[in-house]
Amino acid sequence: MSAVTTQDLTKDFLTGFWRPVPKRALDCLTLEVPTGGVFGLLGPNGAGKSTTLKLLMGLLWPTRGTARILGLPPGDTAARQRLGFLPENPTFYDHLTAEELLSYFAGLFGYRGEARRRRVEYVLDLVGLAADRRRPLRQYSKGMVQRVGLAQALVNDPELVVLDEPMSGLDPIGRRDVRAMIAALGAEGRTVLFSSHILTDAEELCERVAIIARGRLVAEGRVADLASRHVTGWRLTVSGGDDEVLARVVPGGTVERLADGRAVVNLHGETRPEPVIAALAGAGLRLESVIPRRESLEDVFVRALNGDAGDDAAARAGRGEVAAR
Amino acid sequence: MTPTLRRIGLVAWHVFKEGVRDRVLYAIGAFALLLVASAILIAQITAGQDVKIIKDLGLAVIELAGVLMAIVIGVGLVAREIDRRSIFSLLTKPLPRWEFVVGKFAGLLLTVMVNVAGMTAALFLMLTFAHFRMTPEYRAVLDAPVVDPRLLLVMVMIGAELALLIAVALFFSTFSSSALLSIVFTVGLYLAGLLSQDLRRFGDIVDVSPAVAWVVQAVGWIIPAFSAFDIKSQVVHGLPLPDGFVPMTLAYAALYATALIAASVGLFSRREFK
Amino acid sequence: MLRGLAGILVVAAGIGAAAAVLHARDVDGPLPIPAERLLYLRSGQAADRLFLNFDALAADVYWMRAIQHYGRDRKSPRIEGRFELLQPLLDLTTTLDPHFNIVYRFGAIFLSMDPPNGPGRPDQGIELLEKGLRHNPHRWQYAHDIGFVHYWHTGDYLQAAEWFERAAAMEGAPDWLHQVAAITRAEGGDRDGARQLLAEILNSGEGYLVSAAERALAQLDALDALDQLAAIIERYREATGQRPGSWQDLVAARYLRGVPADPTGVPFAYDPATGRVSLHPSSSLLPLPQGMRHD
Repeated sequence: MSAVTTQDLTKDFLTGFWRPVPKRALDCLTLEVPTGGVFGLLGPNGAGKSTTLKLLMGLLWPTRGTARILGLPPGDTAARQRLGFLPENPTFYDHLTAEELLSYFAGLFGYRGEARRRRVEYVLDLVGLAADRRRPLRQYSKGMVQRVGLAQALVNDPELVVLDEPMSGLDPIGRRDVRAMIAALGAEGRTVLFSSHILTDAEELCERVAIIARGRLVAEGRVADLASRHVTGWRLTVSGGDDEVLARVVPGGTVERLADGRAVVNLHGETRPEPVIAALAGAGLRLESVIPRRESLEDVFVRALNGDAGDDAAARAGRGEVAAR
Repeated sequence: MTPTLRRIGLVAWHVFKEGVRDRVLYAIGAFALLLVASAILIAQITAGQDVKIIKDLGLAVIELAGVLMAIVIGVGLVAREIDRRSIFSLLTKPLPRWEFVVGKFAGLLLTVMVNVAGMTAALFLMLTFAHFRMTPEYRAVLDAPVVDPRLLLVMVMIGAELALLIAVALFFSTFSSSALLSIVFTVGLYLAGLLSQDLRRFGDIVDVSPAVAWVVQAVGWIIPAFSAFDIKSQVVHGLPLPDGFVPMTLAYAALYATALIAASVGLFSRREFK
Repeated sequence: MLRGLAGILVVAAGIGAAAAVLHARDVDGPLPIPAERLLYLRSGQAADRLFLNFDALAADVYWMRAIQHYGRDRKSPRIEGRFELLQPLLDLTTTLDPHFNIVYRFGAIFLSMDPPNGPGRPDQGIELLEKGLRHNPHRWQYAHDIGFVHYWHTGDYLQAAEWFERAAAMEGAPDWLHQVAAITRAEGGDRDGARQLLAEILNSGEGYLVSAAERALAQLDALDALDQLAAIIERYREATGQRPGSWQDLVAARYLRGVPADPTGVPFAYDPATGRVSLHPSSSLLPLPQGMRHD
């Protein structure tokens, strides 16, 4: 069973006070997040990621379409019992301590007495806030607040963890810690669904991603599949030999010199590296590294967005709309 | 205890905890205590009327402080959660929205009542002090006993008034996204409610067209009648209250507040959080 | 949609039930509203300080209360303590807002009205207007109103003439005031003189006084009618040797065309035992001004 499924999920927001006009934030999103593992929902700012997550959480009502979360409709109390949610840039109550906040939320999940105390202690430890548990939240740094946010999402030992931009606004150390926590959650067999506009995070963490732009799904699949379909070449680093030798040995590639005297040979397109490596060895050059140049998620992303933009422009032209508004 | 009651209790307890740690509450409470204490000073310069003045001023200040707390904290109950986005975390917990609204109401009621009780204790302390400074002959000529248990009846009525006011503040804060607007609405309705008795008697005004009188009187009946809870002067002067007056007033407050909370729940359950 | 409608109905029913309880409470055992409650502050000066910057607003509230008090007591059958709060309320209102024009003028008329339409305290009415003059010395209207109250309610025509003259001498006073003053001095207490005075007031278009003047004119007409009826009864007695038994006798004998009625349409009362004619006790023109002689 999938952790999350959506079918034609659509959301219009009314904008304008006097004469509200609907503005489409999410357009017919059909998506499936399998149980277990880390799933990334990617897209530029304003693409509809937060809208999607809030629809799943029952904070917004869909204009059209349906969503199921853990097999139940969004907002169902039984589903909420089994999931955790970290909103974007959370802030909590000024006058509570981390311990009090988590204890409050744990109570809402039905933890009582000793079990409640132990659970709070456990998640505080998990996010590394055990030492600061008795300080009021208003004294916390941004990174610490984000950890509290993670802790409150995990306080009920959820099957499904939904994180909205969990890494945004954090310093490099903070990002690394959060990344490690997400990876650990995935490794424990929970389903993690997170949104991000930062692709390197997703590339490292996710098995699968969905890319949305302007409210529409533009690509979806395993990260390996999405990227490796487009191997663009190889990069060989060698030392020794001069440009003349290299040019002779590597007819199909380009050569560049590094500052330390080593050379980088770039092979493009369908050129296979094996014959080149054999030739390099034959010419007495020392091979230092061979790296396949795969298309990164960023390339996929940019291509997807451009393609979508092209479609969009074409669609507009087809409907005869004036593009310059 | 059922899970529902437990969750409502948790929300209420949280409101109370946040409330009593808020500086606003301290400010109002300190101001009120200062004023109640100053009644002693004022009483010194109004020969012979000191007990009446202490009671008048004390009761008025307690009511006013309660009103301020109810409005200032009440309109922020939901607005602040939305501002700080903590509402996203809270409402995705297994907490039905109606429990959230009822919990908020109960929590603020608890907060305000604890404060009112504290101020009442201070007032009684002062009255006890005044009691022992007076000669028995002097005490004998007063309208009402110095330490008058009927003052607690006034407190019960003030409590009912504040419960209704909290329901009004909560109602506005459940659909308005601006705390300032909620304050304006709540204060406006409170002032109108204080004048509601005059509105209900509008027909007594000579030379007004029946249609106008009808409309004004209807408004007088529909808006919450905050003026209906005032028995201060009645009690201070030791005058009797009609039978059933207090229970009927409490029933009024309970019915009206329940209707308002139901409306708040209805509106809040449909609300979206962008 | 349907659920929303049902919700609105439930809430409306709740508020309706609450209002019903409140209504039941106020009918069942209303809190006695002693002076204490309406006039928690008897001293206008204390109130003035207490209300800080909002004394004008407080004045409005007290003015509304004054009108309500007047209206309620006028409708109520009670005798004791009728209108007893009118003067303190008006005094408080004008202390809070000394330039509250309408309060002086309406208030003085209310206060001067004879029972059962008012407390019958022209002295308080005049006091209120004099207070108004102290705070607004340029208002000739107040002097004029004092003259009117003297003329109509205390019957002191000399004072009335003096006040009309003072009003006429004030800046901005209309010319007809001289006329009014002259008539009052020459023919004070005389019905024709009074008619002329009232006609001037009617023509002056002083809206607030017009209804009072109209009523006064109707009373004058009633007085005239009473005199004429007394004369007719006398003639009947001379002709037949006995008093008529009822109005019907006079109609049958063709002394009258029908049962005579006062200007408000209420038939006059006739007592065959004494032969006296008077206004019917239910007539709104009662009580008639006394001492208004016929020339």
